[in-house]
Amino acid sequence: MKVFYSSPWVPVEWIEAHGFEPRGVWCAKDFGRSALPLSAGVCAFSEAVLRFAETHQDLAVVFTTTCDQMRRGFDAFAAAHGGRAFLFNLPATWQSGAARRMFQSEIERLGRFLQAHGGRAPLVADLAQVVERRSQARKHLLELAPRCPARPYAEAVARFHWDGSIGVPAPPPPPPAPGSIPVAVVGGPLTASQRGLLDLIEAAGARVVLNATETGERSLLPPFALNDSLPESERRAPARQEGTDSLAVQRAERVLGAPDARFMAPLHASTSVATADDPLGFLARNYLENIVDVFQRPNTRLYSWLGERLTARGARGIVLWVHTGCDLWRAEAQTLREIFRLPVLLLEADEASGGSAREAGRIQAFVETLQ
Amino acid sequence: MKATPRKLSLGEWDERYAQLRSAGLKEAAYGGPLCRHVVKESDLRLQHLRFDNSPAALRLWNFLLTENERLHQARAGGEKIVGVMKDLGTVPVMAYALSGVRAFYLDGAWWTPCLMECSDRLLQQAEALGIDASFCPVRAMLSAFLNGEHFPRPDLLICSAGAVCDDLSAIAQRLEKMGFPIVWWEMPRRRQPDSDEAPCALPGNLVAPQIQVDCVREELQRVGQSLSALAGRPLDERTLADGIRKANEIRRRLHALRVAAYSAPGAPLPALEMLIAEMLAIHFCSDREETIAVLGELLAEAEKRIRQKQFITGADAVRIFWVNPVADLRAMNLLEDWGGRVCGSDYMFTHALDLIPEDLPPLEALARIALADPMVGSTAERASRIVAECRQFGAEAVVVSRIPGASHCAREGEIIREIVQKSLGLPTIELEIPPVCDAMLPTLGSRLQALVETARARRQS
Repeated sequence: MKVFYSSPWVPVEWIEAHGFEPRGVWCAKDFGRSALPLSAGVCAFSEAVLRFAETHQDLAVVFTTTCDQMRRGFDAFAAAHGGRAFLFNLPATWQSGAARRMFQSEIERLGRFLQAHGGRAPLVADLAQVVERRSQARKHLLELAPRCPARPYAEAVARFHWDGSIGVPAPPPPPPAPGSIPVAVVGGPLTASQRGLLDLIEAAGARVVLNATETGERSLLPPFALNDSLPESERRAPARQEGTDSLAVQRAERVLGAPDARFMAPLHASTSVATADDPLGFLARNYLENIVDVFQRPNTRLYSWLGERLTARGARGIVLWVHTGCDLWRAEAQTLREIFRLPVLLLEADEASGGSAREAGRIQAFVETLQ
Repeated sequence: MKATPRKLSLGEWDERYAQLRSAGLKEAAYGGPLCRHVVKESDLRLQHLRFDNSPAALRLWNFLLTENERLHQARAGGEKIVGVMKDLGTVPVMAYALSGVRAFYLDGAWWTPCLMECSDRLLQQAEALGIDASFCPVRAMLSAFLNGEHFPRPDLLICSAGAVCDDLSAIAQRLEKMGFPIVWWEMPRRRQPDSDEAPCALPGNLVAPQIQVDCVREELQRVGQSLSALAGRPLDERTLADGIRKANEIRRRLHALRVAAYSAPGAPLPALEMLIAEMLAIHFCSDREETIAVLGELLAEAEKRIRQKQFITGADAVRIFWVNPVADLRAMNLLEDWGGRVCGSDYMFTHALDLIPEDLPPLEALARIALADPMVGSTAERASRIVAECRQFGAEAVVVSRIPGASHCAREGEIIREIVQKSLGLPTIELEIPPVCDAMLPTLGSRLQALVETARARRQS
């Protein structure tokens, strides 16, 4: 069974360890492709998630609480299809013990939801394996980020959020187009149907040196290994880094041999609190401590993350990608200008934008001003 | 001096005020003729409103319209000022438990553009700060905070985060980025407990998993530490319990007023004054003791009118349940002009109307009440309470008032209307009301009229 999730901050390793295939909903081929009957102020992304969930009745969907629109999109969905929807409460704060405990309890609750839908009780070994494989994939993608052209990079990240794999070999560093202006794209989710935005930017004479949308580089947690949380005597050898597809995993299983009994212990929420061998707690901490998003309060982590990369990659302008009705991103436009002292172009995403003449014109003008 | 209940224009209130004064009217320190607020504070909207003619209403309006002035006086007197955002009703209970501390909601500045008919230019100033008209009118708080022309700049800022309105959260974040630190505390999105989780009963006939209550309690403890540090004295259990008892005194009076006004055959007080009275619950209009007195007087007036069968609206006025506060106060007058009356309300803070449990440790009680916020749970749960109150007060129609730009309004109205229609079969309507609705009066009027006519027609069928 496929489990679709609406935010990259949902711990996909946990879903996979239950025997499901986690899929970033925005990566689906038919996501957000059709015109949506939007009422005033409704976010096209949240509406697309809702419509997608409604039309695919054989799958489970994990919504998150990151914004009003998604919370209430879940409300609208749950009224008719509550049984196969899960609302993951992502805390906006991260500094307190209460936020950490809440995040972990949500992971535990997600586990109960998955098991109620036929998932298996995950084993530590399964989880460690998935974490290792996904971490390696993320690591590879993060290394690619500074040198991969924008479009294939966005597709590679999407592939990762679709099936955990990378899907593209590391390309040789492309020669920058002569005179192209380095810019960053920052903001909410950039869906498959909206990736034309990246082409528009490059066609206008710029190159995207940072994709900090919710579905770009920013969505990739730094690598971590679950084995690090275990006592040394109980650690397993890391999975091979050569591949991330299912075949590679099978190879890795063979290399590692059969897991010992210690790793066959099922993960129960009640037995995994704050001990040295607390894989669930470790997973929770690694997520919570590395989420970089606009909904966090304060969202200083987002600015630190952006600042580091904007400087390192020499970005000279920011394209701010905002979905209609998204107050959280829209409110950042001025702060981005003030803090980074860079020109900011606010582009508003409607139902299936990413290539309109109006957008093209605005981008061209923006890039011209940066020359 | 006796007078039949009716609504007066500002000019008519001047005459009435002179008569009351000559008849020996005693007023609080902030008393005076209403017209002075137009002159002194540029509260131009008052010229287009109509007010209840009782001395109790006069006191209510003067209390409301002098809030900023009273806050400045408190600051000058050495008191500490806390600016609270979003939780609407909980943190002020904690702050007022500490002597020498006053708390007010910055959110309340959303009515300033209405009261000043946008002559304050707060909305334009907010736009210049990057918060444009795609945000709800609460954006006025950003510019009001920065220009310092309204409320005093608080000594401490506290804002709930998580399951809160995006508009306010984003604007508060902007404020912090401009150099004003905020104590953020987590408010999880309330949910039903799973079968294997310990449930916890909340005020308002709600339930949540105990684990969520624990989270909020811990966060409120952190908030309490900040308040203690500001006040220079501990916010211990005894102090907090006393604060809860005082808050409950206000909530009991408000409850009695709502039940009296909304269940009476006619409206003993106008919808506008009832809206203002309910708003007192969230931060006591910056004076807890005075709020008790103001509500006491309003309650006495309402009870007297009910006894005497004297009402502001006719007995045939259509009983309407109103959802969400209006950005333009004039809308409440309009409803009555078109033959309606408010007989129930959900102005987004029903949890501030419920009693805080007094038989629990204070922080546990406050956590439960905070988590009972209608805006942090599902829209379906909010709608359930609306349905229950519609039944209790015999509503004949429901108005869902949209707040322009508010992120929660994009979807919630449709969900609420659907549940109300399915449960009660009542006619419902959604109206968007901007801070100054004059340009929309014909549209608003015709929509309200249609609702009232539909509800009347249902009486005959």
